[in-house]
Amino acid sequence: MSMAVAGSLRGARAASFSEQLRKPVWLLVPAACFLAFIYLLPLFDLVRISLSGPSWATHFERVFAVSLYWDSLVRTIKISATVAFLCLLFGYPTALLIHRSKGIVQVLIATAIVLPYFIAILIRTYAWMVLLGRNGPINKLAIWLGILDEPAQLLFNRGSVLLGMTAVLLPLMVLSIYSSVSRLDPSLKRAALASGAGPLAVFWRVLLPLTLPGIGAGVLIVFVTALGFFITPTLLGGPADQMFAMHITQQADFATSEGFLQALAVVLLTITLGVVAVAGKFLGYEFIWGGGKLVEATPTPSETRGRDKSARQRSIGTFFADAIGWPLLRLVGRLPASFGTWTVRLMGGFVVLALMVPIIVVMIISFSKASFLTFPPPGFSLRWYEKFFSDPEWMAAFFNSLTIALMSSALAVTLGTAAAMGVVRGTFKGKTAVMLLLVSPVIVPPVVLGLSLYSLFLRFDMVGTTWGLAAAHAIGGIPLVVVVIAASLQGVDPRLEQAAAVHGASPLRVFRTVTLPAIAPGVAAAAFFAFLHSFDELVLSLFLSSAQLKTLPLRLWADVNYQLNPVLAVVSTLEVLLVVGGIALARPVLARSRGAI
Amino acid sequence: MTDGLAGRAERRQHIAEQAGNSSGRVFQAIGSSIEVANVTKRYGPFCAADDISLTIQPGEFITLLGPSGSGKTTLLNLIAGFQKLDSGEILVDGKPIHHVPTHRRGFGMVFQSYALFPNMTVSQNVGFPLRMAGMDRETTERRVAETLEIMRLSEHALKTPSQMSGGQQQRVAIARAIVMRPKVVLMDEPLSALDRRLRESIQIEIRELHQTIGSTILFVTHDQGEALTMSDRIAVLDAGKIVQVATPVELYRHPETRFVASFVGESNLIEAEIVQKRGSTMTLKNKAGYVFNAESRNAIDVGRATVLVRPERIAISNEPASNTTQATVTSAIFLGEILRIEAKMESGETLLIRCSDIAGRAMPSPGDTIHVSWGAEDCWVLA
Repeated sequence: MSMAVAGSLRGARAASFSEQLRKPVWLLVPAACFLAFIYLLPLFDLVRISLSGPSWATHFERVFAVSLYWDSLVRTIKISATVAFLCLLFGYPTALLIHRSKGIVQVLIATAIVLPYFIAILIRTYAWMVLLGRNGPINKLAIWLGILDEPAQLLFNRGSVLLGMTAVLLPLMVLSIYSSVSRLDPSLKRAALASGAGPLAVFWRVLLPLTLPGIGAGVLIVFVTALGFFITPTLLGGPADQMFAMHITQQADFATSEGFLQALAVVLLTITLGVVAVAGKFLGYEFIWGGGKLVEATPTPSETRGRDKSARQRSIGTFFADAIGWPLLRLVGRLPASFGTWTVRLMGGFVVLALMVPIIVVMIISFSKASFLTFPPPGFSLRWYEKFFSDPEWMAAFFNSLTIALMSSALAVTLGTAAAMGVVRGTFKGKTAVMLLLVSPVIVPPVVLGLSLYSLFLRFDMVGTTWGLAAAHAIGGIPLVVVVIAASLQGVDPRLEQAAAVHGASPLRVFRTVTLPAIAPGVAAAAFFAFLHSFDELVLSLFLSSAQLKTLPLRLWADVNYQLNPVLAVVSTLEVLLVVGGIALARPVLARSRGAI
Repeated sequence: MTDGLAGRAERRQHIAEQAGNSSGRVFQAIGSSIEVANVTKRYGPFCAADDISLTIQPGEFITLLGPSGSGKTTLLNLIAGFQKLDSGEILVDGKPIHHVPTHRRGFGMVFQSYALFPNMTVSQNVGFPLRMAGMDRETTERRVAETLEIMRLSEHALKTPSQMSGGQQQRVAIARAIVMRPKVVLMDEPLSALDRRLRESIQIEIRELHQTIGSTILFVTHDQGEALTMSDRIAVLDAGKIVQVATPVELYRHPETRFVASFVGESNLIEAEIVQKRGSTMTLKNKAGYVFNAESRNAIDVGRATVLVRPERIAISNEPASNTTQATVTSAIFLGEILRIEAKMESGETLLIRCSDIAGRAMPSPGDTIHVSWGAEDCWVLA
């Protein structure tokens, strides 16, 4: 009797242990181990080295004492804030334009925004160099119109940096705001109109306040990304436009600056994470991955904050609202609807042009007959395509990139899919924190990540290895995969899985027969994004590759800095074709996970 | 029927006078008349509103009833100004309004999805139309308080919409729609997101509100029961056209088409041959030879006709009597206060019968033979 009890007890314990093992939480382990080794460990190391001076603060004191770095830091913050503002100014009308247009027009406008989003920053910056160059179309057009007598130097100044960075980051802002606008109940606008509010009053009182989360998320993502920007300001800026990340790469060339170099990186990292942390307090950290709240194991009570705050502000606020706010609102509300419509159309149209024209110009130039960059081309030929495909160095770089991107994508999809399953299907506390860790690599400035990885790669002799680069690229690929797969998984009804289980399917079989088919399009899209991320990656590769292992972006980077020749246009055109093909395949999924990073 | 309408208008006039005499706090507006004249709206080849004409009396509660896609919401949106009409005219108090943008039409509107501004409190929501109309803070606050009191929402004034239940949210939406004392209130399926009990209580609330405020109310629904409960008159729409406009009683008793007969209430449509016509009464004979009388307003007096018999107007008995016909029970369901019986007549037609449950009478069971009959006043010959 007692034997039997003991036996059944043991059985129960064994069962509960194997049940424990079967919990989806364990799916997080591979990704966690991978990121701990190749992402968190180097970052901790980076901080440790930065503190290793005679006193812990030595290196940091130098960062803040030398005006070169301090000025650059202030300049970086100013430029980033300006870019974020410009992106908002032009991005909001563009998001509205997408929302308000219908059918094929909507698809075209949305494509014009999404397509550049997937094209390498290097290539889009190169396109602006072509556009703004001495022989570029803008100078040519200005002379033809008689505005200029001779080509002006449009490049290498603050204006070109702001223009280039805004153009590069605009899609992020538009997608963020669009996801907010498209979720609004359309009858809210009608209700406001029926309440006597004019079209612009509706915008100000209803549309704008309700899309504030999207605006906040967009501004923050753009600002934080701009803080760590390296490629665009290097190529489009002059000596007076040095951004902070550029100092880190310059210092990296001197072996003597060990410690100080890390301190520079830690400063940039701290500012970035600080901004994200403060923003996350207000917006919820979901803004980083642009998704909705995750279902936590223990639901936190919804807070009703802001009540007493609004009561306090009422006395001062009411006076201004009565005296200025409401009358002004009513006045503005009298403007006809066509005023707003045309503002949206003109600004949105301008954005679409600004995003598409550089790409189109570069595609045209790739077929140029001329041996230097000029637009319009004097004639057309395929000579630059021949040069690209017959040059062993270009081809070697291309195949290196292809191999690395395929490996990296496979790694990111395997680890990322498992982790997404763990996050969405698992029941545990602190989901937001786990998700935050998984997607945080997109926040860390690539320069900082590259620098930290460099010491790790040196220690384990991974510099210049194909698999080393693939693993490094997978750090940034995992967040993309997790976000896309988590979104598709949330679209799968868990009751379908329960139904399959009730009818006798084992967990693995449930995954194979129910879950996987449902998320397959998401997996395909995620694989494509991770592939593109690696294929386009430049900054990490700058730190981690060797002379023997050149990737395509590295070759491009070398050429952009020395000679602007049309072979670059050929590479750009091929990349655009790759992206267009990928988007065409991934379109159904893209529509669902829009607003993801 | 027209008497009833005039009676209501008179009563409303009376209320208005009383209100004018007693105190300024009573909510009162004199509703507008709305004239929809030959209105057409197309979406590509699809005609959502096909040459619709409708005259709405001042202060009337009129319901647009129809299945989804019948054009009722299109017509409401055209009147609200959310969509532009292709041809025709809409006149409010005799003035054309289709060039006036929505926000200057001065209507109140209630939406199916409530459409409360989530970034504002209840009192800010209700006060929004007042502020947009340029009223000062004191007037706004007073009028908001009055309106919330009428809707019994006073204690919720500082809540945000997300903190309230669906029924409360819809009452806030109604408060926002009436706070300006508009001459016209448009309601677009305002109750269809609510559960049945709540729906019934708010139906009564809206009816009483209409008596109080006197605005013209244009109410859209696909629920025929709701339309019958609430309306002064009902306009039934089908495929972009108005099929019949009538009071609830008239619509139920004397539908003009098969569509109206089957869409409004449950119905039995019996094919029969006209034997004789005498005044407003016809004598008909169905396929199995059963001869019965029916009311009719039709001009035709020979040939075939479709006769509407409402299920609750059919008398049943277990024994044959004079002027009954035989039917075989196919199903009998006990619904509490009534029995719902389906029976096959000798003519092959299925007859739906609703009769009250009488103590002591045995439940019919499938296969039983029953004897059914109806009087002349219980059936109506369709055109």
